[in-house]
Amino acid sequence: MDHAPTRSPRPDPDDLARSLHTPLDQITVEHADLIEAVRRRVVVGQSVPVPVAAFNSSI
Amino acid sequence: MLKVHSRCDLSCDHCYVYQHADQTWRGRPVRMPPATVRAAARRIAEHAREHQLPDVHVVLHGGEPLLLGAAGLREVLAELRATITPWTRLDLRMQTNGVLLDEELCQVLVDHDVRVGVSFDGDRAANDRHRVFAHGGSSHEQVRRALALLRRPAYRSSYAGILCTVDVRNDPDRVYEALLAESPPRVDLLLPHATWDHPPQRPGPGATPYADWLGRIHRRWVDDGQPGSIRLFEALRPGGGGTEAFGLAPADVLVVEADGTWEQVDSLKTAYHGAAGTGFDVFDHSVDEAAGHPGVAVRQDGVQGLCATCRACPVVDRCGGGLYAHRWRTGSGFDNPSVYCADLFRLIDSVDAYPGPAQAPPSEWSTASPLDDLLDDLATGHGSPQTVRRLADDQLAITRMLLAACREMSDSAAAWETLADLELTAPEAVRAVLEHPFVRPWLVHRLDPAARSDVGAAADPLPALAVAAAVRAGVPVTVDVPVRADAITVPTLGSLLLPGLGERAEVTVLPGGFRVRGGSADRTVLLDAGEPSAGWRPVRNVPAGRLLIEDGDPYRDCYGQPVAARLDDPAVQALGRTLVEAWRVVCRDVPAHAASLDGGLRVVVPLAPDPARPLRSATARHAFGAVAVTPHPDPETVAVLLVHEWQHAKLGAVLDRYDLVTPGQGTRITVPWRPDPRPPEGVLQGVYAHLAVTQVWRSRAATDNGDASAHAARFLAWTREGADALLASRSLTAAGERFVGQLRHALEETRVGSG
Repeated sequence: MDHAPTRSPRPDPDDLARSLHTPLDQITVEHADLIEAVRRRVVVGQSVPVPVAAFNSSI
Repeated sequence: MLKVHSRCDLSCDHCYVYQHADQTWRGRPVRMPPATVRAAARRIAEHAREHQLPDVHVVLHGGEPLLLGAAGLREVLAELRATITPWTRLDLRMQTNGVLLDEELCQVLVDHDVRVGVSFDGDRAANDRHRVFAHGGSSHEQVRRALALLRRPAYRSSYAGILCTVDVRNDPDRVYEALLAESPPRVDLLLPHATWDHPPQRPGPGATPYADWLGRIHRRWVDDGQPGSIRLFEALRPGGGGTEAFGLAPADVLVVEADGTWEQVDSLKTAYHGAAGTGFDVFDHSVDEAAGHPGVAVRQDGVQGLCATCRACPVVDRCGGGLYAHRWRTGSGFDNPSVYCADLFRLIDSVDAYPGPAQAPPSEWSTASPLDDLLDDLATGHGSPQTVRRLADDQLAITRMLLAACREMSDSAAAWETLADLELTAPEAVRAVLEHPFVRPWLVHRLDPAARSDVGAAADPLPALAVAAAVRAGVPVTVDVPVRADAITVPTLGSLLLPGLGERAEVTVLPGGFRVRGGSADRTVLLDAGEPSAGWRPVRNVPAGRLLIEDGDPYRDCYGQPVAARLDDPAVQALGRTLVEAWRVVCRDVPAHAASLDGGLRVVVPLAPDPARPLRSATARHAFGAVAVTPHPDPETVAVLLVHEWQHAKLGAVLDRYDLVTPGQGTRITVPWRPDPRPPEGVLQGVYAHLAVTQVWRSRAATDNGDASAHAARFLAWTREGADALLASRSLTAAGERFVGQLRHALEETRVGSG
C-alpha cells in the first residue's frame, strides 16, 4: 500500500495560458475548474511545508 | 512553416526541395512578397483567435531563409509578431544552413525571439559528403562559424539545435562527437528522405544499416549520460510522444509556400511532383480549410490512418508508421509501411534493450516540447528575457485565478466590477497592479483557511487593487476600502497612514490622485505633488529604471525573516545607487544574466539589519518579481546577491507549473554548501543559484587577479556535486532529470568557456 500523500493536481499550463485571454468578468464561469486547481495547489498546498518557500542564501 | 525564400546558397545533393521528385519550386517567386507574408500572418492569427490556441509555432524555412538579409528578415518577423502576438503566444523558429549567419542577423533573431535550428551533418567528411556549394566547395567552416556565433552568450537564446541528416557511410562516432562539440541544446537526426519507389542507399551486407548506425550513436549517448537532448531517441521511447517522423499524434504542420499556397508537410516533395499541394492559398482560404484537405485529414486518424501491416505491428504506437512521405509507393500511394520499416523496428528494439542507467521513466513531460524549450533555455543558467516573460505570464495567470477565488469572499461587488471594466479599457494598468509581487501573497493569505480565522486575517484585497488600477488608469471611481491599523495600502503606489479613519474608508479616484474619507478623517493625496501629501508614503523608484524599492507593503513580509521598516530618503537613495551600480556590474560580468533580470525583476525589498548576519538575501515563492536583500554598500556584492536570488525566483515560477521533483519521497541529499541534508527541491534551488554564481565568478576571474578564481572553483564544485547528487538520487521527474542534465552541461561549458 502506498502511503505517500496525494499532491493536488497542478493546473494545466495550457489552461493557464488560455485564461489570460479571458476577461476577468468571465473567468469564474469559463475557468471554474482552473480556479479551484490553482486554489488547491497554491493556497492549500502552502500549509504543507514547502522546502524552499523562502530560500535564504548565505554567500 | 513559411517558405520565406525559395532559393538556396548551397547545393546539397540530398535536398528534397530541389533534388527529389517535386520541382514546383521552379515556378515560385524567389522570396515571399510582403503581401503574402501579411496574408499568411493574418490567417494564422485568425486561426489562433477562433480556436483560442495558447501557442502557435511558426518556422521560417526555405530554400534558405537567411537569403532575405537582415532587413528583409526583420520585416517578416515584425509582421508576424505584430499580427499574431495579440492573439496567442508566438513561438518563432527558423531552419537554416547557417552559411550566411553573422552578428547582425543573430541580433535580428535575438531581438525577435527566434530560435534557430542549423542543418549540419557532423564532421567535415560527413558534412561535405552532401552539404556543399554549387561549385563543390565545403560549407563546413561556414556552418561551424555560425554555430560558434550562436553559442555566444548574447545569441545563445536563439540557438535551438542542430538537424543532422544521416548517411550510413559516415562514421557514427565521429558524427556524434562533432555534433556534441557544438554544444547544441538539442540534436535531431533525420533519416534521408526516400520512398519505396526510390529506396534509401543500403551499402554493405546488413539488412538494417540505419538501425545499426543510429543504434551505435544511441549507445554512445546513453553511455555518456545523455549529454543533451537527441530528439529522435527521446521520441522513440515508450510514451516518448513522437515527432513529425514518429508516433501517432495527429499531423499539425501546414506549409505556406513563397507564392502563398497552402501545402501539406514539405517532405512529401520526395514522393512525386506536386505531392504536397492542396489547391488552397492564404489569400482565399483559412487554416481550417487547408487542414481539411484529405491528405491532412487522413493523418489525424492515428492508427486507423495506417496500412494493415502497421495496424497489426506491436510497435506501431512508437514509430507511428514512420514519416508519411517514406510510405509512398506508386500504385498503393501512402498505404504502406515506411520504407525504413525494418530499420525502425530494430532501432526501437535497440533503444529498449539499452536504456542505460540514467534513462528517465516515461513521463508526460517528454512529450511537451514547449516545456522542453522553456527548461532548456533556463538550464543555460539564465534564460532569455522572453522566457522570463513567459514565467511572468504564468504568474499573472495564477494571480488572476486567485483574484477570482477571492471574489467569492469579497463583499465589494464594485471593486470587482471596477477591475473587470478597467481590464477591458486600461489593461496595462490592471496588469501592472496584478504583477506587483506582493499581490499574490495578499490573495493567498486572504484565501488560506488556516489564516482566515486568526487575528492576522487578511483584509479584502479587491478594493485596494481596484483603487490602484483606477489611479494608474486615471479613471474616476469610488470604492469602499477596508482600513488596517489606520492605514490603506495601494499596491504599486504606496500607503496612507491616517489616524481616525475607522474600519472602512471611501476612496474616490481623482485626476492625479485620490481622496479618502472615513471616520473623522478626510485627506486628498496628490501623487505628482513635489512633497508627498501628509501621511502618504509613496513607493520609491530606483533612478533610471523600473525597479521599485518596496518598504511599505505589509505583504512584503513573506521571507521568513524580518523586513526593514520604511527607510528614510538618504537610505533609499543610497540603496538605489547601489542597485543601479550592481545592475551595471551584472551586465559587465554576464550580460545574459542582466538581460534575465531586466526581463522580470521589478522590486527589491530591504531586509532588517542584523549585526550578526550583515549580508543576507531571500526569495519568496509567492512573490515573483521581487528579491529581498540587506542594504549593502558594495555593488559587486549586491550584484551576486541579485543574480543568486533571481535564480530562485525563476525556478520557483517553473515549479509552480511543473513537477521537477517527484513528490512525497522524503529523500534527503547531502550537499557541500550546508551541513544539513536537504530535500531534493532545496538542492535543485541551490544548484540553480550556484550555477549562475559560478558564471559570475568565472567571468570575474578572467580579469581579476584576486580571489575570484577561488570563488569560481568553489561554486563550480558545489554546483557539480549538487547536480550529480540530484541525478543519482532518483528523486527527479523526467523533466527534472532533463533540466539538471542540461544544467550540468551548461556548467561544463562555463568551466571550459571562461578560462
